[in-house]
Amino acid sequence: MKKMRNNINVIMLLAALVIGLISCEKDTPQYLPYEGYAYSELTINGGNWTPVLQSAGDAIAIDTPSSSDSQEYINELEEVKEAMANMNSNQKKAIKYWTNNPAVRWNEIALELIAKYNLIPGPNDDGTYTLPNSSNPDGPPAFPFAHPPYACRALAYMSVAQFDGLISAWHYKYEYNRAAPFQQDEAIEFAYEENDIPSFPSDGAVVARVSKNILSAMFPLEVEYLKQMEEEHLESLMLSGGNVMSDITAGLEIGDAVSETALIRAAGDGMRNAQAPKAVSDSIKQAAYDRFGWAWDNLEIPERPVGLTPLFSQVTMWSIDDVESVRPIPPPQLDSQEFLDDVEVLKDYAKNMTDEKRRIANFWQDGLGTYTPPGHWNRIANEMIVEYKLNPLQTTRTLAYMNMAIMDSGISCWDAKYYYHYPRPIQMIDGFETIAGTPNFPSYTSGHSVFSAAASEVLAYIFPEEASTVRAWAEEAAISRVYGGIHWSFDATVGTDQGREVAQYTIDRAKADGADN
Amino acid sequence: MQRLYSLTPDLYKKMGKVILPFGIVIFMYPAVSLKAQTPSDGLMMPSKNICVLFSYDMGTFDRYWEGSYLRSNETIATVDRNMVLPMAAIGILDNLNFYVSLPYVSTESSEPNGGYFTGARGFQDIGFALKYRPIRTELGPGRVSFLGTAGFSTPLTNYLSDYRPYSIGAGAPEFSLRAIGQYELKNQLYFRASAAHLWRGYTEAERDYYYNDGSYYTAWMDVPNAWTFETILGKWLFDTSLKLELSYSNLTSTSGDDIRAYNAAQPTNKVEVDRIGFSAQYYFKSIKGLGVVAYHNRVVNGRNTPKMSNTGFGLTYQFNVIKKQTDEENAQ
Repeated sequence: MKKMRNNINVIMLLAALVIGLISCEKDTPQYLPYEGYAYSELTINGGNWTPVLQSAGDAIAIDTPSSSDSQEYINELEEVKEAMANMNSNQKKAIKYWTNNPAVRWNEIALELIAKYNLIPGPNDDGTYTLPNSSNPDGPPAFPFAHPPYACRALAYMSVAQFDGLISAWHYKYEYNRAAPFQQDEAIEFAYEENDIPSFPSDGAVVARVSKNILSAMFPLEVEYLKQMEEEHLESLMLSGGNVMSDITAGLEIGDAVSETALIRAAGDGMRNAQAPKAVSDSIKQAAYDRFGWAWDNLEIPERPVGLTPLFSQVTMWSIDDVESVRPIPPPQLDSQEFLDDVEVLKDYAKNMTDEKRRIANFWQDGLGTYTPPGHWNRIANEMIVEYKLNPLQTTRTLAYMNMAIMDSGISCWDAKYYYHYPRPIQMIDGFETIAGTPNFPSYTSGHSVFSAAASEVLAYIFPEEASTVRAWAEEAAISRVYGGIHWSFDATVGTDQGREVAQYTIDRAKADGADN
Repeated sequence: MQRLYSLTPDLYKKMGKVILPFGIVIFMYPAVSLKAQTPSDGLMMPSKNICVLFSYDMGTFDRYWEGSYLRSNETIATVDRNMVLPMAAIGILDNLNFYVSLPYVSTESSEPNGGYFTGARGFQDIGFALKYRPIRTELGPGRVSFLGTAGFSTPLTNYLSDYRPYSIGAGAPEFSLRAIGQYELKNQLYFRASAAHLWRGYTEAERDYYYNDGSYYTAWMDVPNAWTFETILGKWLFDTSLKLELSYSNLTSTSGDDIRAYNAAQPTNKVEVDRIGFSAQYYFKSIKGLGVVAYHNRVVNGRNTPKMSNTGFGLTYQFNVIKKQTDEENAQ
């Protein structure tokens, strides 16, 4: 009996040890873990910068605020104090979550919606495919399919409208110079690091309203969710001690005006026609075949009748007038030595897959169900924005130019894809198998390469200390597609050059907006 | 000889029952891997005995549940997963057994398929289990046994769990505790039931962002814990040389997300599996210690899991590690 008890003790001890080993909780963050910070700069002249869509920071008119010694304003301060005195724990959590740079949070919300909606429609029982339709967003399939072109466009419009809105906000902040509640009344304690930026109009409210409006248009099934997020954010602006209600109201006015301008541009930018009908798609393919003697085929079962957004190339670019002006050189002929050599390179990668190549292929894959490559670069940008403690205006400037460059580069990439209509490796190499999913569009040039190169160039411009790092990441993202077996080497290398060239147009524009003065 | 014959089938019986749950249950599919389910039989192998198993398992599915929707998907067509399983059971004490196993798994799609994905292959998780039998006693017209097992398994290689449906395992450490009860009548008809809880750790993906009803900015994926239940109806035939079993088992994750529309599965999914099975095990009287096993299982209902059918064959061999003792037994 004694022996038995000893055995039980040993087992119990082992069990406790093992449970302890595997149950240790890991940190699985759902957003970037930061809680606000002191801005590295205040960019006091930001109201004079050149916006992207508006003519100038004062293009949106708002009413003059009441002065800080008026009874009206004093009442507003009392309202803030009373609300702060009655905060519940959820409201306190919300203040921590939204931080004093909420553009990053709204960017994360956009990334989450992209990942949620980045699902390719499957076939119907009869082998046909139904496309998502904005006039019947419930589907099935639900609208939208947030693929990389859709994602980069949503991010570009949101970031540009945020940036334009904040230029207006900065303009009026320093025109009216109405100090923040926590500076007006010592009884009000600011939830974040204090700064001297005037609080009228509220930059947070501009960001909240713009983001909510743009994302609601891009993700119509999320209107209710976005409204809730906006309400929580707006409430936290007051409860943080940073804004009175009239600060917020003025910010909302700017937000509504600038997002209306952005959405008018979006409605007419050609995206609605990007998913061409089959007849148009077939004629594009035939034209490539006649021109080059090759054409890409979709190899899915059942075959998808149309590739992804054949006419995304026709969408209005931000910084380039003629997409053909940045079209890359043609890819190698299918009987050329360069092509035959590359077939061997791909076979070799597939046959001798290493842990490192597999890791790189997976790390940058950003495929279906994820935030896409444009989303990945927004995440990288968010991390750098927080690390370098950018203020909200600098934040949205960074995201605006990066996403403009990403979208322009995507449009240029899609021009190359459907002009050259080059086949994928699985189409050209018998028995070839991949570790990554082959997308539903032609091979040349690689979208990942172009998006990543463009994004990295803008980040290199904004964060010069990080230039070599981000450029190396972009090259790794490019080659990752070759390791994955879904792109030729020249898709990646030419795509990287293409992305860098296209981004330069947006960077030139950024350099002239007044921020570098 | 008389003594040997009367002794040996009993050893075989113990050995065979020890092994079978591994052979059958282990890799139905990575998402629902029951691999660390410790031997769920009702008997023990005597001290100083070792039993080795070598089995081959062929699993296949052409449909799977996306949430609760059973679908096919020509991107992956029919997926085959084959497994070679070496395992050893060691009798430490008469009432305490130790098990170790290490499967080799390979997966691939049939051709043609629309995805052109390459399959995966490699050694999966090394598993250890300890089984303890505190109670075995005559009760009414038969004999009742209660047992408890504790199991632990962990990936031996850096296979990628985030590569469904080809990944060869869940890629996470797992600890399990199982309670087993068996009642066997004098006529060697028996009924066994067991319940276990599986604590799964995290698996590391090769990307640092994924969607699981929301964004996750990490490479670590939480593999849901699960409950499993199993009931077995078995019978020994032909002088305890042939054993037949019918089984029903269930696995239910305690958390997790659904596979999204036409999207790949991932290790965070909430998995439910209902499975029935049949097995037969035969022990040669002519060759001491040798047995063969064959089985077939099929998943009949589920959630976020393949509608997998698997068939396996195995050889078992039991021997006494202390030669002297064996000699003594033979001498008798």
